Amino acid sequence: MALIGRVGGRHRLLGSTGGPVGVPADALLERLRRRILAADRALAEALGIDQAGVVADLRRLECVTTQAPVLAVIAATDRIVGPLAAVAETAGWQVRPLVIDGAEILQVATALADRRVDAILAGASEPPGADERGLIGELGTLVAAATERRPDLVTVLAGGLASPGGRTEALFRPDRPGPTVLAPSPADDGGEPLRALLDSLRGGQDDGRRALAAAAGSLARVLRRHVEVLEIGQSGGSRTLASWQPGAEPSVRTAAVARAALLPRPFTEADLDDVIGWLPIALDRLRTRDRLREMASAPWGDAAADGAALRLAAARAAAGRLLALTPSFDDLPAPDLVIASGGAWLAAPATATVLAVADVARRPGARAVGLDHARVLAPIGTIVDEEERARLVADLRDDLLVPLGTVVTAAGLRAARTAGTLTVHGVGGPLEIDLVPGSVELVDVPPGERATIELQFRDPVDLGVRARHLALDVTGGLGGLVVDLRDVPLRLPDRLEPRRELLASWQALVWPGFDL
Amino acid sequence: MSAVVPPPGWLDEIPLRRLVDAGLETSVAMPPGDRPLVEPGTAVLPGDLLLEHVRDRRVDEVEVRTPEGDRPLAGSRWAPAPGRRRHAEHQADGELLAPMPGKVSRWRLVTGEHRAQITSSVAGIVIEVRPGAMIRLRIEGLALRGAFAAGASARGRLELATDPFGDLRPGGIDVGRTGSILVVGSRIDAEALTRARAMGVRGIVAASISGKDLRDFQASERRQRAALHVPEPFGVLALDGALKRTIATPVAALLERLAGREVALLVDPPALVFDGTGIDLPVVAPDWVRVRSGPNIGAEGRVLELVGLRRFAGGVHLEAARVELDGEAPIEMPLGDLERMG
Repeated sequence: MALIGRVGGRHRLLGSTGGPVGVPADALLERLRRRILAADRALAEALGIDQAGVVADLRRLECVTTQAPVLAVIAATDRIVGPLAAVAETAGWQVRPLVIDGAEILQVATALADRRVDAILAGASEPPGADERGLIGELGTLVAAATERRPDLVTVLAGGLASPGGRTEALFRPDRPGPTVLAPSPADDGGEPLRALLDSLRGGQDDGRRALAAAAGSLARVLRRHVEVLEIGQSGGSRTLASWQPGAEPSVRTAAVARAALLPRPFTEADLDDVIGWLPIALDRLRTRDRLREMASAPWGDAAADGAALRLAAARAAAGRLLALTPSFDDLPAPDLVIASGGAWLAAPATATVLAVADVARRPGARAVGLDHARVLAPIGTIVDEEERARLVADLRDDLLVPLGTVVTAAGLRAARTAGTLTVHGVGGPLEIDLVPGSVELVDVPPGERATIELQFRDPVDLGVRARHLALDVTGGLGGLVVDLRDVPLRLPDRLEPRRELLASWQALVWPGFDL
Repeated sequence: MSAVVPPPGWLDEIPLRRLVDAGLETSVAMPPGDRPLVEPGTAVLPGDLLLEHVRDRRVDEVEVRTPEGDRPLAGSRWAPAPGRRRHAEHQADGELLAPMPGKVSRWRLVTGEHRAQITSSVAGIVIEVRPGAMIRLRIEGLALRGAFAAGASARGRLELATDPFGDLRPGGIDVGRTGSILVVGSRIDAEALTRARAMGVRGIVAASISGKDLRDFQASERRQRAALHVPEPFGVLALDGALKRTIATPVAALLERLAGREVALLVDPPALVFDGTGIDLPVVAPDWVRVRSGPNIGAEGRVLELVGLRRFAGGVHLEAARVELDGEAPIEMPLGDLERMG
């Protein structure tokens, strides 16, 4: 919940707050209004929000993120269902893969008829391969039978099943209320056309994740930068990369991933292992599971002390799933700015969040990191008119994000006592630091300040480009400059105790009061 | 409970949990093969038949002959024509699952020998019958919502086995509890749950059930259901969550008033359903709060004021309130850890 007002001829973010379900939005708005009034009465009077109740009539930009609907993905063989499910996973659906080959027909039909299934995606390769030809008929009749039980069921036929007027489409009753949609193959254009179609079918006009992607595009245009947004929320996560090029509209690639929820459904033992693997504190496995279960039902609770560490560990695990399920993004231009968005990142002090992002988004190079602290990007993305949206983003460019700092990640360092030196030319004069492979170096560069850094390595390393000597301009932030000389990808000890100690030593650098 | 005063507006910033809900909807699973015995609009009472459940589902192939152009739909019922029942493949009736690929009149039929009749545990109206999927009901009566539940929906006489703070040990359950839904206080373990089921108890209500005990119970429940013998329905309802705490005072007061009455324990959604006629619902003071999560979980008291953002352990800044818990000196607590009830 945030209040935006016109101050000095442009829009400014006046304040933000939040609260759990069960707290009326008007109560939160009133809290904000009271605070603005207490902080600057003249401003409140000028904006006409000095009286109780007036904020209820203000124009609102609203969006929601809801639990992902369930998509049954069915194909003749594992070979076909894998790519279909992989694309569907990035389109905001909770995916249940089903395979005909070797399965009991009754089990498959029961799974398709399950009341929790919202839509079915059936597919075949184009043309159908030898391993699936004998099963295509079975596949078509089972899916058509499911739509006879539930005539309103949305059904998507992809790839080899999607020929208009073809044998499979003819199995579906044309007069049923639910649509039968013919879709491209997951192999077409990296699966993007199929992903976009599936995303459009899951409904939700005011969907927060689609809105966030639109806002990221506007931000890239305003900042003239490649912007990546990593959003982790209670019901899912999303990854958006908005690329800017001179003289062209920003291109926006986005993926909404239900499995990237802070606590995905179902929450498996492997998911629990992932969270425990990021915990810098010792917590009993059973108790950790119980606390996570409580966190799922009361997301705003248990947010202090070790609860904050537990939440940030869950956020890291969720971000790891998000990145693993969107590998095609790694082929796009590297972002200049990474934005952490969503409630999961707000659990810890902002400085700890910058390291959490660096832990999971491990791409060699330098990038600024910001936090969508007021969570206003997504609501702004609901503005349909691109120009109006960009104007608002331009007005708010200094308020939208909390600058967390700049992360410089170097890969390909050889094990040695020292790999080179870092020289920071900042306001306080030059500062020289030894670069130790495997370490994280922090340099205080406050928000709003810029510094020039020189990295001098003994051997060539990967900094986005392969070089021994590099000079960069970096921006400051609450976490300052983070020079990350750890492995890419990050390698941690397998045994829990040394792993925890290592994580705790890094955490202590960036988390004031972490000695829980 | 203290006297009721109109709540000041600031109290709205503390999450409110409803003590009871009305108009709840529930659904009963009906996988392919099961036969619905009700239609949309049917009013049902506790104990009324809802569906016939096939316990040993299998798939047969049958020839379905219909008038020309009148193709049957998947999900329809099918029975052999009179006089043809002596043929083995035509002996059983069932539900049409899907046609055989490429064959117009040859269908797969879901059928079975062992059938059980499933009754409703609540009074309500049938609002949807979806063959092969579920029957949905709108419940008459009031519902006390829980955090999660396991097992099967059940009905029985509510009995208080312990006080709201107690734990129930397996030895504390005997056959005298047969047919009851037991309120067991703060927590129950898997061993006690299994014993309760063996003693004919129909359901257990506790403030919390740990994840380990829940999974152990669910595994035991699956084994029970796989047996050919039809077990009595048995459900378990956790009112608050997985971490140990006592039952909230207003909820405990409500359960005391319901003791001796017939109630239904629902699994989907997790709730305890009862007929509200003649029940005075407990009145909760507007400033009454309970710690929903965090270090003081389960403690109760009253909220004194909101204090804005405060720094808590771990260097985390959270919206907070000053509260007086269990008569102790006031402390500041995150709003996210508190809940009101009303």
